[in-house]
Amino acid sequence: MTEANTVDATLRALLADVLGLGEARAAALTDDSGLFGELPEFDSMAVATVLTEMEDRLGILIDDDEIDGEIFETYGNLLAFSLRKVTD
Amino acid sequence: MSEHILRIDPAGVPRATILIVPPLFEEANRTRRTLVLAMRALAADGFAAWLPDLPGQNESLVPLAHIDLARWRQALAKVAADVAGPVIIASVRGGALIDHQAKASAWWRLAPVGGASLLRTLMRARVSADREAGVTSSLETLEEQARTAPLLLAGNLLSPAMVGGLGTGEAQAVAPLRSIGLGADGIAGTPLWLRAEPGEDAVMAGAIAADISAWSKTCGIS
Repeated sequence: MTEANTVDATLRALLADVLGLGEARAAALTDDSGLFGELPEFDSMAVATVLTEMEDRLGILIDDDEIDGEIFETYGNLLAFSLRKVTD
Repeated sequence: MSEHILRIDPAGVPRATILIVPPLFEEANRTRRTLVLAMRALAADGFAAWLPDLPGQNESLVPLAHIDLARWRQALAKVAADVAGPVIIASVRGGALIDHQAKASAWWRLAPVGGASLLRTLMRARVSADREAGVTSSLETLEEQARTAPLLLAGNLLSPAMVGGLGTGEAQAVAPLRSIGLGADGIAGTPLWLRAEPGEDAVMAGAIAADISAWSKTCGIS
């Protein structure tokens, strides 16, 4: 598995865990799938949980300043951010 | 003040008492139903199962802002001391931060987590909620505020001692201990404590009860 695939799989599993999406819904997420503001489960507590779990599971550190609303707009944005962080 | 304890007793004399230390804050609500299902399975297997309210949590009348980790450790030690017969402490997630002061014959920990990680998530939820409300805050400014006054984090008013204790809190060495995670080598199930909307998992509850029961046998308790 390439690194990009690993990050993608980790991120889908993480969103499934936090948002209770189930495997099928998590697998069906596309780059354009809306997250924050679109999925009712995705509240500010869920955002916080996702960030901490991203740090744990991807082995990255996320600084406050790096977070803006756009990252959580779509799955594609969140994936792009994660890939940037792991290759940093 | 004594706190409410949810007790599920077996028919007859218990093999041992399983004292459940729940996860902390919102994670306790997300896991409660599954833990109680595990308690029912333990009782059916001959164990007494106790789930105490931590002071400042659940039905407790004590304001959370008066509490810190030391108070929780003392409260659990007192509950354990009231048990007749052997005690096995089963703690989940942040419960592992406060389970070592109580006297027990064995410990069992599911997915123990450091206090710093829990605190970071709570702080981030506050920063995220502040941002939605058009208020600028950061982990640094919140940490600064928490040094001198109680801080409201995701609905929890936490004392400076609590925030300080969480920031450095780690599970302490206890023996005999079985520490277990989720997945193929651990308990089959999903991390319900992360779930934005509470769920329940009867299969996971059964796996938790079976693992605790097997650990009790391994330790020669019953």
